[in-house]
Amino acid sequence: MTRTRDMLQVTVQRGEAGKTRMQRFDVPARENQTVLDVVSWIQQEADPTLSYRFACRVGMCGSCAMMVNGVPRWTCRTHVSRVANDGRLDIAPLRNLPVIKDLATDMDPFFDKWVAAEARHHPTRGRLEEFDPITPDNPERAEANLGIECINCGICYAACDTVAGNPDYLGPAALQRAWTLLNDSRDADRPTILAAVSGKGGCHNCHSMGSCAQYCPNELNPMRAIAGLKRETVKAALRGKRDA
Amino acid sequence: MTHIDRHDTDILIIGTGGAGLFAALHAQQSAPADTRITIAVKGLIGKCGCTRMVQGGYNVALGGGDSVERHFMDTIKGGKWLPNQDMAWKLCEQAVVRIHELENEIGCFFDRNPDGTLHQKAFAGQTADRTVHKGDLTGIEIISRLMEQVLARPVDKLQEHRAIGLIPTRDGSALAGVLFIDMRTGGFRLVRAKTVLMATGGGPTMYKYNTPSGDKTMDGLAMALRAGLELRDMEMVQFHPTGLLAGDHTRMTGTVLEEGLRGAGGQLLNGAENRFMFDYDPKGERATRDVVSRAIYAEMRKNNTSANGGVFISMAHLGPDNVRAKFPGMVKRCADSGFDLAGGLVEVVPTAHYFMGGVVVDADTRTAMEGLYVAGEDAGGAHGSNRLGGNGVANSTVYGGVAGDVMGADIRTMGALRDPCPYALQAEIDRALHPLTRQPAPVHPLRAALQDAMWDDVGVMRTATGMERGLTRVAEISDALMGVGVADDNLAFNLTWHDWLNLRSLCDVSEAITLAGLARENSRGAHYREDFLDEGDLDASYYTVITQKGSDLTVRRDPVQFTIIRPGETILPESEPETLVAAQ
Repeated sequence: MTRTRDMLQVTVQRGEAGKTRMQRFDVPARENQTVLDVVSWIQQEADPTLSYRFACRVGMCGSCAMMVNGVPRWTCRTHVSRVANDGRLDIAPLRNLPVIKDLATDMDPFFDKWVAAEARHHPTRGRLEEFDPITPDNPERAEANLGIECINCGICYAACDTVAGNPDYLGPAALQRAWTLLNDSRDADRPTILAAVSGKGGCHNCHSMGSCAQYCPNELNPMRAIAGLKRETVKAALRGKRDA
Repeated sequence: MTHIDRHDTDILIIGTGGAGLFAALHAQQSAPADTRITIAVKGLIGKCGCTRMVQGGYNVALGGGDSVERHFMDTIKGGKWLPNQDMAWKLCEQAVVRIHELENEIGCFFDRNPDGTLHQKAFAGQTADRTVHKGDLTGIEIISRLMEQVLARPVDKLQEHRAIGLIPTRDGSALAGVLFIDMRTGGFRLVRAKTVLMATGGGPTMYKYNTPSGDKTMDGLAMALRAGLELRDMEMVQFHPTGLLAGDHTRMTGTVLEEGLRGAGGQLLNGAENRFMFDYDPKGERATRDVVSRAIYAEMRKNNTSANGGVFISMAHLGPDNVRAKFPGMVKRCADSGFDLAGGLVEVVPTAHYFMGGVVVDADTRTAMEGLYVAGEDAGGAHGSNRLGGNGVANSTVYGGVAGDVMGADIRTMGALRDPCPYALQAEIDRALHPLTRQPAPVHPLRAALQDAMWDDVGVMRTATGMERGLTRVAEISDALMGVGVADDNLAFNLTWHDWLNLRSLCDVSEAITLAGLARENSRGAHYREDFLDEGDLDASYYTVITQKGSDLTVRRDPVQFTIIRPGETILPESEPETLVAAQ
């Protein structure tokens, strides 16, 4: 049986890109305590200059993801008791994104790639027309629904070694959204989506290592979606050759 | 002299919730082709704020017996005859267009019936199955889809920009621009615009227990007060009965455990683990939010409490596996945080959820100040004294779109950008820099003191004595804050400086809430006076209006204009049944 510790030994990455250092804090351990609570305690009680980002507190906004003992996690929904290693926590900004300061990253590259993947609805109907009467058991819709609960927190993007090695790679979240749209019968521009995901930074860069699916807090499987995109882009290329 | 970066635009939108994002899209559709549009937000686009946190859904009458008239009557009755009826009507009428726009143009996919039509359910206070939803994560679907549409458009984006002041022209006749702090650098940026939409969201986080996103601190209403605008219904704070209670030290405390838990048969137990709701209301746990909140509060006052000072919610009698299957998101969230919702007891407490009050606007989102428009939770009037579940996101998306359309039309007749009053600008800069001129001290204890004061004295149940005491406590905290400094060695991403500015906004708005609460000497909707239990004469209904001149706040009571319907009347045909919802 492990002894309940009074204090957590917390190491936090400080500073801006290229000028980072680690700083140690002793934080009181509490019964109900998330990693976000630990970070907040440091800012409120120990070092008012600590920078980090959070918003909703309940795992809906995806603003507070950080590396916790080397693993990307939502800090608001990660109970300390689940991750503390013999009372120790190492907290660092989310991997694969530029650091603004301390634990806050610049998420623009992640969202720029969301846009580059053509990851938005292309309407077939307008606001004065009826809803598309799609039934819940429609197989295409069922496929689209698999990825719909993504909150764009960037955890899969941080977990992905392909993103780490190839800055052009669109990454699992953006590609999964593209797959959702490709399966959405209401989307008017599926060829454009396919073209967007089959280019230089597209789906064929994925090596199916599966970190995205392993770490997604919502238990989504972007790797499966990317495999779908690979099939469809190959089929489209073959169709193109045949039609040429 | 302080350096100020400058940015000029035609249309400026502050906030990226349902109102701000819809305004950006509609402004782009309605304004001339070369119009410059800028959207600024305190956090990241679409990620901060409260629209994303909507669980329940979107109220809209889509036929099947339901009608815009019925939705309107429910909204007026739910608001206890205080709503601005023209705003409530437009909300109900335009929600029909907006929900089609969300599905067909924005790309949301809402839950379906087996025949492919949209599934709708009934929340408390509704007489029809009216709430469109995407599981219990409707807000995520709406905001994620809106966000990706706006990200892909040529709109200037200022993220992590905190608005600190509405800067008028020198003669005060119009708005010239808005002063921001670029939170990433700590520098000031003045954005001049012909039209500005303020859609920063409300969020009553001056209470010890509260549900909103952590960035919400009523900055919009605090700026509006300083700009001399009229604010209405400021006493109307909606409490949700079941916020998670896990101790003062954790940000989990106050976050919502959904309404559906009680609807499905969840039981509330006091500290002795006895049910108590039937002591207060024949509907027991299924009573409305305000009734359940007051009952829990009453148990808390009797010290019939759990370890952390609340009560328990218990679901286990429904079968833990059944609860896990029916509420997977809630069960998982509780489990991540260390609680067993399916099989154990979870501590809950009433929690401040939504702010009905806001800036006085017309049904086109225009304010008394030329160039300033307000929509969403910053605007008062649509909900009156109480907001129905499902009317919040309908309100923000409807009026955000309206604001975009109206601003796009109005700039066609506006001339050049206006020059800001240099004195007003300097006053706002001095105000923001004030804490950097004082000896650094912790900000957090004062925030806790304010939250205690508002919870104790201006909370779920109110009296004149309590609110007078609250007014004194708020004033003392407000004064103390002016003596608390923040170290000025690095202003980049300096959360503690922003904690100070957040608390400044909360103190200012708390004073307004308390004064408005004292001015309403009856119990209506969210406002419950133990010393004035009666709802008052409905025909003589009034709403409170509060304005600031210098540092003084003035409250008055304005009569409600029954522009569409008078108390006791209905616009529904006589043959219409009272409710279309099957009895439970």
